[in-house]
Amino acid sequence: MFTQLLHFWTPALLGFPPLLEPLLLAELKPGRPHQFDWKSSCETWSVAFSPDGSWFAWSQGHCIVKLIPWPLEEQFIPKGFEAKSRSSKNDTKGRGSPKEKTLDCGQIVWGLAFSPWPSPPSRKLWARHHPQVPDISCLILATGLNDGQIKIWEVQTGLLLLNLSGHQDVVRDLSFTPSGSLILVSASRDKTLRIWDLNKHGKQIQVLSGHLQWVYCCSISPDCSMLCSAAGEKSVFLWSMRSYTLIRKLEGHQSSVVSCDFSPDSALLVTASYDTNVIMWDPYTGERLRFLHHTQLDPPMDDSDVHISSLRSVCFSPEGLYLATVADDRLLRIWALELKTPIAFAPMTNGLCCTFFPHGGVIATGTRDGHVQFWTAPRVLSSLKHLCRKALRSFLTTYQVLALPIPKKMKEFLTYRTF
Amino acid sequence: MYVKSVSLDDHEFIIKRQHVLMSRMIKAILRGLGQFAENEIKEVSFRVNSSHVLAKVHACPSYVVGYTNNSTEIPEFPTAPKIAGELLMAANFPDC
Repeated sequence: MFTQLLHFWTPALLGFPPLLEPLLLAELKPGRPHQFDWKSSCETWSVAFSPDGSWFAWSQGHCIVKLIPWPLEEQFIPKGFEAKSRSSKNDTKGRGSPKEKTLDCGQIVWGLAFSPWPSPPSRKLWARHHPQVPDISCLILATGLNDGQIKIWEVQTGLLLLNLSGHQDVVRDLSFTPSGSLILVSASRDKTLRIWDLNKHGKQIQVLSGHLQWVYCCSISPDCSMLCSAAGEKSVFLWSMRSYTLIRKLEGHQSSVVSCDFSPDSALLVTASYDTNVIMWDPYTGERLRFLHHTQLDPPMDDSDVHISSLRSVCFSPEGLYLATVADDRLLRIWALELKTPIAFAPMTNGLCCTFFPHGGVIATGTRDGHVQFWTAPRVLSSLKHLCRKALRSFLTTYQVLALPIPKKMKEFLTYRTF
Repeated sequence: MYVKSVSLDDHEFIIKRQHVLMSRMIKAILRGLGQFAENEIKEVSFRVNSSHVLAKVHACPSYVVGYTNNSTEIPEFPTAPKIAGELLMAANFPDC
């Protein structure tokens, strides 16, 4: 079906290096688990890389989360990139690396989040001033479960550290503050978000109410100032991470908003919805900068009607120049920020989630049948202008940029109105 | 063939001509200076930029040339936030 994949890049015009469509590097399929429970679901609702790129977490369905050291072992990466998939991982044969961990959560796992580790310098300074607080100096993984519980695991050993209760329904998404302060935010189908302090044995410090329907996704800005939550009632909320109050509501989607992500410099927010659109926002002003519409490829591949292109997931690349989206029309799309059409496609059935490897070059996706795939992502060198923009926007808000005594064109560039 | 680039504080940078030509703007300027004799060094003044900023602007093309189409790990090009503002203004001229 996908004998022709159309490219939408034109290097002569843009000065982009030649880009290939994402190639499948490896595919992991779950082996039959020890207790095969026909009642629990098999979907991979979430995938995640640890912030330092040393671990990959795979919620492989049937209540199991696999923690895999990264990079993957040789046996999983084919020699050339022609081979599409490898042998399934078979638990019973015990061929996995001894460092690989299996976490049995006991219920369907919906949300996953790694803590930032090794601790950023700011965290070490904080810990020195608070000697009475147990310093959780290890990489931890938070798992959001079906009945509202959140289990906190130590990655290196696979041990269960904490059990957080409070939510009344599925914990759909989790997010740690990037500063390393071990504050965890959870988003749930009980229409609330909750803030937990893992320094105080998982004490619930705040409940954020306001959403009218299921909260699908939460994301904290890399500068730790804002929290974004996306929900079924078509709205996106921005909360302050300092006062835990609502800053603004972002309206614009026509259907449930299911995924959100901040750019690495916190200057942009993207949200994805069942209405086939991804909207790019300026989170400081609430302005809509871009609509990325997911239509079928032109010309159509077959004679059927327009595919339902509901979005499932959107994420930024680590250098802040690309987006990856997973949609129900069986395509993984890569978008370059400045364009309005995708630059590359890859066929992907039943996709549910996607995430970039923190150092770039690889995208991981999860599917409904519990599989994960790893794709090559465009590796581009940011222009010096973009590197400066990223450095400046990491600490300047849009309003601060607009107040600078610089030419108008420079302000437009810095606020991402032009690229 | 080389180009000499002079900064505000009279710091002279000798850079490879093909690196500098990555910018269309500079290409146009150099064309105006006439033909290059072998090993001749033409001078271009960036007299509005200080040397620490200009050093970064000139280090960038070697980084780009070195890592384009290279499958090894690409390290980050270091840009200190303190000079990011000046660097952006400097980088805007050659559009790099």
